[in-house]
Amino acid sequence: MIEVQNLSKYYGSFCAVKGISFRVDEGEIVGFLGPNGAGKTTTIRILTCFQPATSGSAKVAGFDVFKDSMQVRRSVGYLPESVPLYPEMRVREYLAFRGRLRGLDRAQRESAIARVAERCWIRDVIHRPIAHLSKGYRQRVGLADALLHNPKVLILDEPTVGLDPSQIRETRTLIRELAQEHTVILSSHILPEVEATCQRLVIINKGTIVASGTTRELRERVTGESKLITEIRAGEAEVSAGLKTLPGVTSVHAAASDGWTRATVSTARDLREDIYKLSTQKGWTIRELRRDIASLEDFFVKIVAGTRDAEN
Amino acid sequence: MQNTVAIMRRELLSLFCSPIGYIVIAGFLLLTGVIVLVTGSFGPGQPATLRNVFDFTPYVLTIIIPAITMRMLADEYRNGTFESLMTAPVSDGQLVIGKFLAAIVFYVLMLAGTLIYLGVMKLYGEPDLGASLASYIGLLLVGVAFASFGVFTSSVTNNQIVAWMLGMVPLMLFVWFGGFIVRVATGTTRDVIQSINIVRHLDQFNRGLVTTENVVFFLTMTALFLFLTVKVVESRRWR
Repeated sequence: MIEVQNLSKYYGSFCAVKGISFRVDEGEIVGFLGPNGAGKTTTIRILTCFQPATSGSAKVAGFDVFKDSMQVRRSVGYLPESVPLYPEMRVREYLAFRGRLRGLDRAQRESAIARVAERCWIRDVIHRPIAHLSKGYRQRVGLADALLHNPKVLILDEPTVGLDPSQIRETRTLIRELAQEHTVILSSHILPEVEATCQRLVIINKGTIVASGTTRELRERVTGESKLITEIRAGEAEVSAGLKTLPGVTSVHAAASDGWTRATVSTARDLREDIYKLSTQKGWTIRELRRDIASLEDFFVKIVAGTRDAEN
Repeated sequence: MQNTVAIMRRELLSLFCSPIGYIVIAGFLLLTGVIVLVTGSFGPGQPATLRNVFDFTPYVLTIIIPAITMRMLADEYRNGTFESLMTAPVSDGQLVIGKFLAAIVFYVLMLAGTLIYLGVMKLYGEPDLGASLASYIGLLLVGVAFASFGVFTSSVTNNQIVAWMLGMVPLMLFVWFGGFIVRVATGTTRDVIQSINIVRHLDQFNRGLVTTENVVFFLTMTALFLFLTVKVVESRRWR
């Protein structure tokens, strides 16, 4: 449904997107994840024909974004990050205007507006001026506009930014429902967001794709290194030295407080049993011992932090 | 075509939903009303003609028309609605023409307000309707040309006030001081200024003459600025 090949975009000498390639199949719901300024919005703007790419190619619904721009625009429903609307218009007027631009005749517009108003829960504000709507309602009006022409592909740029927790949950449910009929790409800089809604993730940073795959695939990749956390009643140096003798330990961080030492052990193996044995052998009391599997969040944070370190 | 009409309708709706549309119309009618009053067009013994109104209106239009068009594209950039328009199946040309047509429709409605003066004059005298028609054609053409320039200045910035200034200052310079520049300039400069002297072209209409040269002058100006606007809108996306 979407095919991106070697896509690059320069703003002057600044490179926003560096030769990225990915594809999205029909019916998939793909999350585009990356810190702010990673190139998400730029990529999305190229896919929606708002900006031309510097090099590379992109196809949406079988049409080239550059050569068949109008065809692409007809098959895409797009919710821009800032949710641009005309504040002086009423919701209904706005949707009718967008329907006209989409080439819907009067009867089609009527039924399309009724459909999206139902779908996005905006029936009760349909006659209100947009200026009077809350952020949550505006977001829904934007989404209703994107759905108006029943597009094959839905592209949502940060669809839940600025919403309250219950609205976020509602929007996620809605997006998941929409994915049954549409191919969906959504971008976000919040991992749980994408994890909750998407089947597949594309992680982008500094204009390049750093990882992509299903959430499970990605999790398997990052669990390689796990952490053991333990709290032992003994001196800091003693515990640290003792834990380091265990096989497979790469590093130990220990800190003492109130006579207890809290140690974080980095290791590739599950050493919980060995730690228990060691402590009974040494006569230490243990009050906590658990394995902390690296989450996608850690992985994502690492990527973001990595870039920051590189910058500093 | 449907897109152009949709854009035009939305623009008109915005003009009449916000105070700007009413302020502009009221301001225009107030100014032309003052002209009628000050020039004593309805005085006893005066010829039954709105010549004074027709002569002064272009000066007022240099301020009023950029005020109508100033937000047309600048606001789309600022609100980000430019992005939702340009990702819908709308071509750059349709967008620009739609905006331009909205300005024309608005202008015609505004200009129609001055028909009242003609109506009143008809009650008390015998104004030359043919000559008035020629003047209205002239005013329509000058408005069309100004509107294209106004849409153009609105396309180069995302600030309405900047767009207004950019539209108003050159128009004022040409219309208010065109005659003066022609008088002081010499040689080729003078010929060039004279050939694009808006007041000179308009003057013929006010004498009841609709000549091809003058019609072509205003239409060329319109086409030029509409073309430039489309180019500017196109270039916005390459940045």
